[in-house]
Amino acid sequence: MASPADDAAKSAAMPSSQGQKAQLADDEDMDPTQYFENRVKSLDAQKAAGINPYPHKFFVTLSIPEYIQKYGVLNNGDHLEDVQVSIAGRIMSKRASSSKLFFYDLHGEGVKVQVMADARTSELDEAEFSKFHASVKRGDIVGVTGFPGKTKRGELSIFPKSFVVLSHCLHMMPRQKPGVAAASENANKGEVWVPGSTRNPELYILKDQETRYRQRYLDLMLNTEVREIFRTRSKIIQYIRRFLDNLGFLEVETPMMNMIPGGAAARPFVTYHNDLNMKLYMRIAPELYLKELVVGGLDRVYEIGKLFRNEGIDLTHNPEFTSCEFYMAFADYNDLMEMTEKLLSGMVKELTGGYVIKFHANGLDKEPIEIDFTPPYRRIDMIEELEKMANLSIPQDLASEETTQYLINACAKYDVKCPPPQTTTRLLDKLVGHFLEETCVNPAFIINHPEIMSPLAKWHRSKPGLTERFELFVNKHELCNAYTELNDPIVQRQRFAEQLKDRQSGDDEAMALDETFCTALEYGLPPTGGWGMGIDRLTMMLTDSQNIKEVLLFPAMKPQDEPTTTPAKA
Amino acid sequence: MMMEGVKIWSQSSQQLKQILQLNLNSNLWLFPRWKPRRFVSCASSTTSRKQSPSSTSDKEAVRSLRIKKVEELRSKGCEPYAYKWDRSHSASQLQLDYEHLSSGEEATHDYVSVAGRIMGRRAFGKLAFLTLRDDSGTIQLYCEKDKLSQLEFDNLKSLVDIGDILGATGTLKRTEKGELSVRVTSFAILTKSLLPLPDKYHGLTDVDKRYRQRQVKVPYITSYFCLLPDIHPDAVLAIQIISEIRKTVESLGFVEVETPVLQGAAGGAEARPFVTFHNSLERDLYLRIATELHLKRMLVGGFEKVYEIGRIFRNEGLSTRHNPEFTTIELYEAYSDYDSMMVMVEEIVTRCALVAQGKLTIEYQGTTISLERPWRRETMHNLVKEASGIDFNMFGDELEAAKKVTMKTLGNNLEEKDKFAIDKCPSVGHVLNEVFEIVVEPKLLQPTFVLDYPIEVSPLAKPHRSSVGLTERFELFICGRELANAFSELTDPIDQRLRLEEQVRQHNKKKQLEAAHKDDKSEDNSYEVALDEDFLTALEYGMPPASGMGLGIDRLVMLLTNSASIRDVIAFPVLKVQN
Repeated sequence: MASPADDAAKSAAMPSSQGQKAQLADDEDMDPTQYFENRVKSLDAQKAAGINPYPHKFFVTLSIPEYIQKYGVLNNGDHLEDVQVSIAGRIMSKRASSSKLFFYDLHGEGVKVQVMADARTSELDEAEFSKFHASVKRGDIVGVTGFPGKTKRGELSIFPKSFVVLSHCLHMMPRQKPGVAAASENANKGEVWVPGSTRNPELYILKDQETRYRQRYLDLMLNTEVREIFRTRSKIIQYIRRFLDNLGFLEVETPMMNMIPGGAAARPFVTYHNDLNMKLYMRIAPELYLKELVVGGLDRVYEIGKLFRNEGIDLTHNPEFTSCEFYMAFADYNDLMEMTEKLLSGMVKELTGGYVIKFHANGLDKEPIEIDFTPPYRRIDMIEELEKMANLSIPQDLASEETTQYLINACAKYDVKCPPPQTTTRLLDKLVGHFLEETCVNPAFIINHPEIMSPLAKWHRSKPGLTERFELFVNKHELCNAYTELNDPIVQRQRFAEQLKDRQSGDDEAMALDETFCTALEYGLPPTGGWGMGIDRLTMMLTDSQNIKEVLLFPAMKPQDEPTTTPAKA
Repeated sequence: MMMEGVKIWSQSSQQLKQILQLNLNSNLWLFPRWKPRRFVSCASSTTSRKQSPSSTSDKEAVRSLRIKKVEELRSKGCEPYAYKWDRSHSASQLQLDYEHLSSGEEATHDYVSVAGRIMGRRAFGKLAFLTLRDDSGTIQLYCEKDKLSQLEFDNLKSLVDIGDILGATGTLKRTEKGELSVRVTSFAILTKSLLPLPDKYHGLTDVDKRYRQRQVKVPYITSYFCLLPDIHPDAVLAIQIISEIRKTVESLGFVEVETPVLQGAAGGAEARPFVTFHNSLERDLYLRIATELHLKRMLVGGFEKVYEIGRIFRNEGLSTRHNPEFTTIELYEAYSDYDSMMVMVEEIVTRCALVAQGKLTIEYQGTTISLERPWRRETMHNLVKEASGIDFNMFGDELEAAKKVTMKTLGNNLEEKDKFAIDKCPSVGHVLNEVFEIVVEPKLLQPTFVLDYPIEVSPLAKPHRSSVGLTERFELFICGRELANAFSELTDPIDQRLRLEEQVRQHNKKKQLEAAHKDDKSEDNSYEVALDEDFLTALEYGMPPASGMGLGIDRLVMLLTNSASIRDVIAFPVLKVQN
């Protein structure tokens, strides 16, 4: 049976409708501060009259996705008047056809359904109805109880008997610009964004980056894709967990506050424990603790958690970020390369449906590139390949002064910049960046790093001066770092001593010695493969994000002059 | 602490010099390609077991002896730090697969390969038994002189020690005594240990050291694997408990999110935060003391069910219940209230209990606890009345009356610090809460939901729908300890602002009072509390009615593993600096 209101629906849905224009004019013309004050006043009035404007509980019978799944199959014009359901969500659009008929878009869990509020189906009388619906604003969170149905034009709707505002949006919600309406409407309908495909934040309803990152909730509310980015992030972590759990790994937690910041070379955050009267450092890597656990007999452990580095903030760096590290007794870096291929290709396949993803590596205005995760991945022997590509012949003894000078000359020859201190490690790093990393668009392993670059990796079983280490590069960025772990305590102490030398020559990112860790090694660490991966970088890759802030819910931001009490601008 | 750091550096470089002398040419070696199978070995040994590792000089002696063994192995072309070992079976898998072998029986055609740490050995002339422990359990290695060459046998007699990590291959045999064993045909040292394992029975006296060197001495997370086979593997239990929590909430549709640890203002609880400094932003940052305010922003953003299992940091003293960093789960659900959160906690805790103990009646430090549902639910007012006879309903807003009656009724049983705390209370609600903590909390052994806290002590909870002055909040107590805290979330931004402002005012008042009484050390409130304006703005955009809950995971694990101290359930607890 068709409702007489259907005809009205047609006209109300048209943007040119008189009613809508009047409604918009009301809100849009108002000064944001005025708007806020008006809304607070109306709440005060309700409270004064003994009405609680923030009800404690609304019984939801179906979530909006469930509602759509259940009643999406109705035929056009069908109305199930005998059925009563309660749904709740946020109003993202309001259109008034007349004082007796209002249309709302109700959003929840990333999808939306239409609410068609008709005075004739409402429990309220006509005057109350008009007055009530005039007070409902875009952005309010409401609970609706009524019957399901589809309009003649096929729009799934709910026809409310009762309609309650559960929470009020006191600010004017940023509104989408007419120009991009069509594009974002597409994003809202049918075309659901999937991981591995491209995105264009330029077309978002809320575009301003500062607002998006500082008030992430607005970003999530208004830009439907953003929600999918964070769901993807959650799925990536779930996939890794499942992958490792299935191999018998145990997830553990190691301290985030350390007395010595070990396991990596980076500037740590310092804090102070009052009661213990003790300086503590935020961890820069969980590596040493995890290896101590392997010493203790946990053969396969991993930790997914936050790391902290006191560095500048840029497109790929945030002071806190998430990594996964795992340690596997009796495995070496060859095993780990295979595992890496399996993990990444399997994950990309599950999340995107294929092995090839699209990524705007050169900016949004350029064509996206394709990155192919089909295994196996290329393996590049670092020194061998560098010598070949740059036509060099690096001296055998990498620790010598001669080598340092040779590399300084090589950098000068190719105009590769290396700011001081010009240690062999840093010079090599720059050359590798210039010649090798640049070639790694599809996933590729750069392997067998020199000992001087890898104080925690085991010497190579057949190549003197090198280690059994790999880094995985994708789109020219490092994604994983792994090695056969150095487990000879004597050699480990020696390597720390060399790091100390680098520190003294001005490289404050050289690694510090951790006595507890060295003692643990003396009890015997089994042959072990260790592996780390940046979760944020991987998420960036799979969500076509060029900025790490896109994949962090609350990225670190520079302090603002004034707090964000003013309403957001679109 | 600066001094401490310097000391570590200078000390270590001295030690390094010694080591470098011992090993002058170690970095010049060309390492032969390692073939594990070539390195066949066995151990007889009648020598090693007598050493007592307790004194430092003995330990140093053992260490230098073993470093010589490392060199000797290398001089024979055997790398004492192997790269890899292919295992075919874990110890427990073998025990399971060959359960059918009867004593004396052999499976001569099944070649298997195992690896693990040598935990013990016995030798009888031409025969040696080694106990090999991996992370699943133990298996015996049965080594016969006949199966190995004379040279190998002699070499390894002197080179293998208890504590070494070995790989072994061979066939299977159950000994006459019924012990399943790998009859070793080849055998390699994978990692040479330099330090003697602490003695099983005498090494555990130094409790502090036990925690410090977790990897070898602690019954909790790891060491029982290699050292204390009698102690139940609580570590794995702890991990399984967390995994069960995750499974439970994910099966209910909750999405895991990660919110920041470093924050501009530390909100969501009342506690002294850690402060750090971000160099390039040139500003102080605080380590989070709760995840609450950021998770609520997610509800504003349209997520309806979110959770985070994460690390929380509080700058407090250490105790059996407090470590400066600990783990909680907080979860938030739109359109639900604190009633549904009670069901949620019951569900999570009972599921975890079943995973940990397989039953709902558990022992904790001598007390029997029944986790059978439903758990007792009682209001704070009634519990206080029951325990003290004081009916706080009769006081209304009359603070002085409340204090007077409390002092008169309880006065004789109160300690000085309690009296002082009551005297300082700024509201009737605070007095009620104080009395609750003193007289009721320690008695709540069986699971109890304490309901409807006073509004003055619950700045983030929604006012009670029917009782004025109270909130819709509960805390779960088991064994006298708070395990969970939950409320119908306050969604009214105006009310929220007033309450947080009041909290700041109260805090500053306490701070002033303390500044005036410097000798009082009972509490330290000298830190700053700031309003989280961004959170208040988020609420102004509208948060759906919701309830949220925080559950201390370490405390839950303590309860379910019958551990007396939080240090037993954290892999690397913070300890006082050693002198």
